Parts: sequence; structure tokens; C-alpha cells
Amino acid sequence: MASSDLNTLFESLHPLENKFLLAFKAADVLAGSDILAATGLDESRFDMATGWLTAKGLIEITGETVTSFVSLTETGADYLRQGTPETRIIAALREGKQFTVKDVLQSWGMDPSEVSSATGALKASGAIRIVAGGVLELNPSADTASYDFLLSVIKNAGERSSADLASFSREQQELIQANFHKRGKGKGIFRITEKRNRTFHLTEPGAGLVKLLAERGAVTEEASALTPEMLKAGTWKNVRFRAYNIALNPPRTSIGRKHPYREFLDYVKYQFVSMGFEEMRGPLVENEFWDMDALFMPQFHPARNIHDVYFVEEPSHAKEIEAPFGKQVAAAHKDGGKTGSAGWRYAFDFERTRRLILRSQGTAVSARTLASGPKVPGKFFSIARCFRYDAVDATHAPDFNQVEGIVLGQDINFKTLLGLLTLFGKEIAGAEEFQFRPAYFPFTEPSVELHVKHPVLGWMELGGAGIFRPEVTLPLGVDVPVIAWGLGLDRMAMIALGISDIRDLFSRDLDFIRTKKIRLGK
Amino acid sequence: MPTIDIKKRDLDSLIGKKLSVEELEKKLMLAKAELKEYVAATDDLKVELSDSNRPDLWSAEGVARQIRISLTGKSEVYPFFKPGRKATRIIRVAKEMQKVRPYIAACTCQSLRMNDDVLAQMIQSQDKLAEIFGRKRSTVSIGIYELDKIAFPVDYRLAGSDEVSFTPLGMTEKLTLGQILERHPKGIQYGGIVKTFAKYPVLLDSLGHVLSFPPVINSTEIGEVKPSTRNVLVEVTGTDQRMVSLTLNILASDLYDRGAEVDPVLVVYPYATDMGKNVTFPVDGSSSVSLSLDQFSHALGEGIALPDLKKRLTAYGHQVTAGAKGRIKITPPPYRDDIMHPMDVIEDYAVSRGYDDFAPVMPSQSTVGGLSSIEMLSDTVRMHMVGAGFQEFVSNILCSREELADALLPAEQLVEVANVMSLAYSVLRNRVLPSLLNVESASSKAFYPHRTFEVGEVAAVDRTTNMGTRTDLNLAALISHPSANFSEMHSTLDVLLYYLGIEYKLEPAEHPLFMTGRSGRIMAGSVLLGFIGELRPEVLERRQIAMPAAAFEINLNAIQSFFK
Repeated sequence: MASSDLNTLFESLHPLENKFLLAFKAADVLAGSDILAATGLDESRFDMATGWLTAKGLIEITGETVTSFVSLTETGADYLRQGTPETRIIAALREGKQFTVKDVLQSWGMDPSEVSSATGALKASGAIRIVAGGVLELNPSADTASYDFLLSVIKNAGERSSADLASFSREQQELIQANFHKRGKGKGIFRITEKRNRTFHLTEPGAGLVKLLAERGAVTEEASALTPEMLKAGTWKNVRFRAYNIALNPPRTSIGRKHPYREFLDYVKYQFVSMGFEEMRGPLVENEFWDMDALFMPQFHPARNIHDVYFVEEPSHAKEIEAPFGKQVAAAHKDGGKTGSAGWRYAFDFERTRRLILRSQGTAVSARTLASGPKVPGKFFSIARCFRYDAVDATHAPDFNQVEGIVLGQDINFKTLLGLLTLFGKEIAGAEEFQFRPAYFPFTEPSVELHVKHPVLGWMELGGAGIFRPEVTLPLGVDVPVIAWGLGLDRMAMIALGISDIRDLFSRDLDFIRTKKIRLGK
Repeated sequence: MPTIDIKKRDLDSLIGKKLSVEELEKKLMLAKAELKEYVAATDDLKVELSDSNRPDLWSAEGVARQIRISLTGKSEVYPFFKPGRKATRIIRVAKEMQKVRPYIAACTCQSLRMNDDVLAQMIQSQDKLAEIFGRKRSTVSIGIYELDKIAFPVDYRLAGSDEVSFTPLGMTEKLTLGQILERHPKGIQYGGIVKTFAKYPVLLDSLGHVLSFPPVINSTEIGEVKPSTRNVLVEVTGTDQRMVSLTLNILASDLYDRGAEVDPVLVVYPYATDMGKNVTFPVDGSSSVSLSLDQFSHALGEGIALPDLKKRLTAYGHQVTAGAKGRIKITPPPYRDDIMHPMDVIEDYAVSRGYDDFAPVMPSQSTVGGLSSIEMLSDTVRMHMVGAGFQEFVSNILCSREELADALLPAEQLVEVANVMSLAYSVLRNRVLPSLLNVESASSKAFYPHRTFEVGEVAAVDRTTNMGTRTDLNLAALISHPSANFSEMHSTLDVLLYYLGIEYKLEPAEHPLFMTGRSGRIMAGSVLLGFIGELRPEVLERRQIAMPAAAFEINLNAIQSFFK
């Protein structure tokens, strides 16, 4: 082996390996027990060093002997102290005591199974018999040597802790084997443990390293980390730091992180701000006025019934509709009021306008903004949580975000509406191809649907928009044209997150959220 | 909005030209319609109509008409709307109808060239018009009868529950009106519309034969249209006269397009109506609008020339004539009643011309973008929480009462849904922390420590406000690991409020979520910002969370009040 390789190996050695190798200064072949004795390593560290060194080809295992050691189980230790059940019964009878099996069970503190097996064995061998009244009687001529012999082996094993099985006589060994504890079997008296003692052979590169270690001096103590003490005392100068295996996987950790869906929404939010849009907000609980009446949705509109909107139980109504908007909106519905419209021509229900509902569309926020005296020219957007009376499934979440907004200005017309939608298509969806389709919304005229060719999704509907009807803007005090737009971004969010179930946007699974990557940008 | 089935051969024949599917898809934009499906093998088209204000488009005839006139460029004339026509058939309305179902309109259509496609469309338009436009028959319902079996005049009047009986469609035995309401599927479905009245509407001919029990069911003898039927009476009843009349106009126009001869029916009311006492239906109720060329140009963003305007609007079904003071008078066709404002006509022009024909122009006026102050605070707080090593969450706001029940403070009232669909989604959350506890319940397998937060909207009943409720923006943060405790959570709160520049102190306080002696109110002066504490073991156990946790929740609106 080239010396540079030896040097690399030398640098990589762990202090445990150094210790292990240094034992080979005396001989090229050593038994494991000798190395343990020479290095003072405990078994687990010894095993670690063995593993590393054999992997590096510095030592080889050339032989292995297995030694069995005998020790006592808990039962064995108990018999050592008190005698076996058989010898105890014989001894008591020899002392002339009178007792029954029941007496033994009740007051000798022995296990019932022990008592029955001991009395059974004694009876079977003819050592005792049971006479009138269940009293035990010893057969004076009985041969009890075998019981004494077992006790003597117990004593022998007990006195020499972990005695080599081979040091026992053949008869004793047989007895030990017959009474040793095996997992899952009844109580045993003896435990036999096997110990391997391997023979280690230094390889040629190993021998080279032992030589190097002897020449250069080996770091045999743990010095893998630089400590403040080393820096203070300057002892780091005499310490060599072990090279790490940097190919290993690092321990798992988690970092603080934005929610991926929220990150997507943030991206959208800043896109709108960069396009000159101001954020607007509104309440989760709306009344029918701002959610629908102000948007010129007639009170008989199919989307307004109990199967489309969540109504609030209590309180059920807002206290009042802000003046003068209530009256002006009512007039627009009834006969157009001052909007130049014929109106829907029905009896407007004032009570109903105050009815509280869960906001069903983000346009409610736009309606409130229109009534608040917004800047002209002005651009506004909101990301509003909305609620619809839908069964929850893979395409319907219990609540969802709508991205909506308005643009007010003297220069607003149908062509600037299309221009704005083109901008959204490019900036938000990264699309280059667009299609404008006629659409219907109760609150806009003209109305348009924007379809774009998304780079990943292909042709998709990105949103709906239009110019607010004068019946919407004039009653709210706005006399310039206003674009209203809304974008459906959840499908894009799902693609950015790589999910196919909308409910996963609101997942409760920490692992799922921690590991979700997100790709933003065009 | 309605989706209708049409055989493509039927549509092609009504249009008068065989269109490819691609051409059809493009042309459907004229009707704000979308082709959902085309099965070539069966020739079936599924078309979705989006305009709830244009019920005239909810049939093969209507869709075909809009496309046909755009191809020919000529608006079509429906001669039966000509005023002054004499009706030979009469329907007499009884006085008592005024309070029950006051309006009826009718006409006759003869020499129908009936076939399976025509019959299918007739049934479909009746259904869509009555169900969607007529709000499940409550405002408008339709009856079509074998004209030759009716002896005029017909009476529209009330009858007692047991007064008359007839064999309703779908049955073989005679039933009284009361029995129909109880036993007939349509009686059960639509009976609610008239059940509250002591007597029910019926149409009877002069021989006393029942035509129908509007709006519930027709009689089998007179009111069943078959493939062999050639001459029919079309009748519409309802509670809104404009809608009743418009529905008749649509049905009459559709059958006229099929080649039928349409003749009027005189309806004689004993009471005054907006259309008078003696009305000869069908009536062209459309009213014209006048607007200037400038209005078009201004709304559309480019100069519009009069000849082009005329051409486009005519090809969309309107009549364009010169109005007073240089204005243009536009009269919509009688099957439409959706023109409320000049803007509606302006859209029709744009649709007729095609949206793709307009070159988009960027709005030129400059505006400055920006976030609301609460959103900026939210962004700052979220940045700090992420920096502190917390994973952000986004949760649903609509949830179950059970999720929030053990977090409620005395006197707090949740915003509850009245028309509950599922108990799982029946209240709005009033705090964010229960949402983070949901995450813990679902995430015991995610490696620890868990550090989570959410900035999100919450709602609560607040009677001091006009809306009786309040929406707030809250921050909740939670830590969960074997040694999670108050002190660790307090450190995060402390550093967050330090960076926000809020001086605060903690006051020991009981809280249903937090352990006694290990919870407190977060106070900034006299303002309550929120709560902090170690979660009660019973709270964790209830959610099957087997890991200690500590948390805090603060109201960002309260924080924001310090910045003003």
C-alpha cells in the first residue's frame, strides 16, 4: 500500500481504533479477550472498533471460540438460599415435623406448581408417601442422594459466579443442561450464557499503521470536538481532530417556514401591489345589502336563495344600512332610480337587506370600497375568504379565497378592461395567449370571461370581469366607470403545490406541510 | 344556470347551415353559451347557458336563432306580435284569481311539424323556463294542450279540493285536486305553491273538461302532447305578469321558428292589470332605449360608426332606427326583456362584433399600490414567527362547534349558521388556536418538536357593532414536544412583542384551555392582547394529543391600535 494511502488511513483513525491497534504492538495475532484486557475498552466500544477496523481491512478475524458460562437464575438463587423444594420437604420430615401438602402450600411461601411437582417427584421415587389426613411421611430407607446432588451443583455454581461449563463434571453438566432456563419454558435453575472469543490477525496495512502509530504517537483519547477549554488553554495544538464521514445523512430538523399556500397568496398579493393595486378588506359576516343588493343582484336572483348562501343564526340582522346607500340601491332595483335604468321592477324588501350572511363573494368588499369614497383613479384588490353552501369535496373547500378587485378611472372602458385582463394573464398566470368570451354577471355590463393558455395547465378560465353597471356605481356615489374583476387562482395554487384536492390547501398534516415544496414565478 | 341537451342535426337544421363543432363553439359565444360535451355517436350536444337574464336562449330554437341572425345579418320579424290582431279564442279569468295566481297568457300554435326532436325541445324548454326562470313554477308555470280537444271559452278560476276531478298526466285514474296534492308526485313537489289557499287554480273548458291544475299538473285527456299532435294551446300562468308574458313570447317564437302558425288568445280579466283588462296575447312588451353614438364610443373605448353599429345590432336581433335629437333608437326583439340600461345594448354590440375584435389597451392612469396597515402588521408578525422557527398554517374558518367548545370564555358567543348543511361546518371560529390543536391531533407522527403558528381571521358576535358581529385578525402559536412549557412559549411571545415595540405584562388568569396556575392574560396597559399558557391535559386528551403543549393567542387588531 502506498504511503499516501496509509497516511489517509492514519488521519481517519478514531481514538478507539488507535487503542485497539496499539494492542498489536506485542503480537500480530491476539485473542479478543487479550485486547479487552490490554485496552480496557468495554465490550460495546470494542465491538465498534472491531467493525471499523475490519471494514478498513486493517485486521481480520481468523478464529472464534465459544465458551459457555453457568450462572443461577432467580429461582436458582432462591434454592441456593433455602434449598430446593424437595430437599426442604425431606429435611423437614427428617426433623420430625408433621404437615400436609396444604400446609406447605399455605405457609412455606412456595409456588403451587413447585409444591405439586416436588411432592409428585418425591412420591414417584418412593421417598415419601401420603398417609391418613394427607400427612406426608418419609420412607426411612429412601435414596435422596439425587436431591442432595442437585443442591450441591447449585451451591457450586452459586459460589463461582459465571463458571465455565466445562469446569463441571460430566454428571454435573448433564444436570445443569436439564435444569437450565430457556426462554418461554418454565422456571429453570441455571442460566447458560455463551461468550465468543475471536482471534484477530493484523493485516499488512494494519501492521503498517501500528508502526506509524508507534512512530508518530497516537491520539488515543476522544478528541472529536474542539472545546472552549482547548482554545483557552491552547491544548488544541496537541490534538488531532478526527475527519468526519460527510457522506452520511444529517439528522432531521425542521425550520420556521411560511405555509406554501400562503406563500402563493403572498406572491399574488405582491404582484397586485406591484401593479399599483391597493389592498382592501371586509368582514367575514356580511349583510345581504353589501353582498348582493348593492351589486344589483335582484332579491329573487337564483344565487340568493337558501341553498347558495349561509345565513347567520343570531343576531340575524344588521342594525341598519348606511345612509344614503340603502335608499339609493333600493331605487335602482325598483325602477332604476337616477341611474338611467329601468330597474328590475319588483318590490324591494328592506328587511332582507339587513339579513346577516357569511360573505359569499369577494365582490362584497369591492361594494364597500365603492361606498367609502375611493380614490379616482384607483386600483384595489382583496383576497377574501368566502363561503358557499356546497357539499365539501375535492373541488369544494368549506371556505375558500377569492381574489377580487376594482379599477376606477375616467379612462376605463371596454378596451382598457381587456387590457387589464391581458396584464393579469401575463403577470399572474404567465400566459402569452388570451381569449375573451362574453359572460354574464348581474353586476357588470359588458361582462367578460378571461381564458388564458397557462404554461402548465393549458387553456383555462382565469377569471371573470366587466364594467360595473351604473345601477351599482351611481347609488354608491361613484360616477366614473369601474372595472370589476375576479380571478380563480386556486387551480394555479394547486399546481404550484402539486396537489389535486382543494382541501389539501388547508391540510392539518404537519408532515405534509413541512415537506411541500412550492414553485413560484412565471 | 341551465344546461340543455340538443341534437346537433336539430340545431343545424334550425340554424340553416351545418356547422363544424369548432365553428359551433365559436358561435356559441354569441349566446354566452359553452359547449360542454359533444357525443358524435349519438349526435348529442350539451350546452351550458350562463345568462340568467336571457331565458330565450335556453332552448335549441333560441340558441339557433342567435346564431342564425348573426349569419344572415337580418333581424327576423315575428308577425304574430303585430298589434291589433283579433283573437277568436278567449280565456276568462275569475275575480278570485287575483289573490292566488293572478296572471295568465296564452296563444295557439297550429300546423306544427312535430317530430321527436321538436317534442324533446318542447318538454325541455317548458322545464327550464318553469324551473329556473319561473323559480320552480312559483312565479311562472306552463301548460301545453291539444287545441282540437278544447271547447272555448276557457275559464281560469278556483275550485275546491273535491269540486273537480280529472286524470292527471302519469296516472290512469281520476283524482280530485286534493288527492293530486296528496298522491301525485308533481302534487307533492309543487303543491306547496297553492296549498295555503282554500281553493286551487284550474283551467276548465266550456264543456267543463279540466285542462289542468296550474301550476301542478295537466290532464291526460287534453294536456298531453304526443308525436301526432299538430295544433296546441300554449298557456302560461303566474304571479308576475311581465314574466308570464315574456315566457309566452319565448315559447311562441320558438314554435314559430319550427314553422307553426301562431294565433292570439284574448284574456279577459275582471280586475285591472299593468297590461289592461282585456289583453290579446302574445304582447310585444319590449321597450326601446335611445342613446347617442358617443355613448357607444365612450363605453367601448373607440370610435363607432353608425353603419357598423346598425349592422352589428341588427345581426343580434335588434331594430335600429333614428331617434330624437340625433340619438339612436334600439328596439329589442319581443322574446327579450333584459334591456334595462343603455349599457346592455352596448354589450350586445360588443358581443355581436366579437370580443376578440377589440384590441386591448392598458389603462394609462398611474396609481400607487399598497397593503392595508393590518396586512402589513400581519406580514411583520409572520416574518418574526417564521424567524423564530415556527411552521405557518392556513386553516378553514368555517368549522364545527365541537372544535371550539372547550376554548370558549364565559359570555362569548359564536357566529352560527342558521341553515346548517353539515355540523362539521356550522360555526365560524372565534380563535385560531383550536385550528392549531387540530394540526396537533392530526400530526402525532411528524417528528418533534412541533412549533406552529397561524395568522388568520376569526369572527365573533359583538352587539356593539352595526353588524352585530366582528371580524378580527389573530395570531396563535403553539409548541409541542416532551418538555414544551410555559417558559419557552413566553420567550417567543416576549421577543415578538419586543420587536413590535409593545410593552406588556402577564396577569395570572384562568382559561379553559390552559392549566390553572400556568396561564395568564397578555396585557398592554389596560388593553387585553390575548392569552398564554400550558394546555390542560384534559384538553389534549380530548383531542388525542399525547404530547405536552404550550400556546398563546393575540389579537393583531388590538396590537395595531397602539400604532395609531
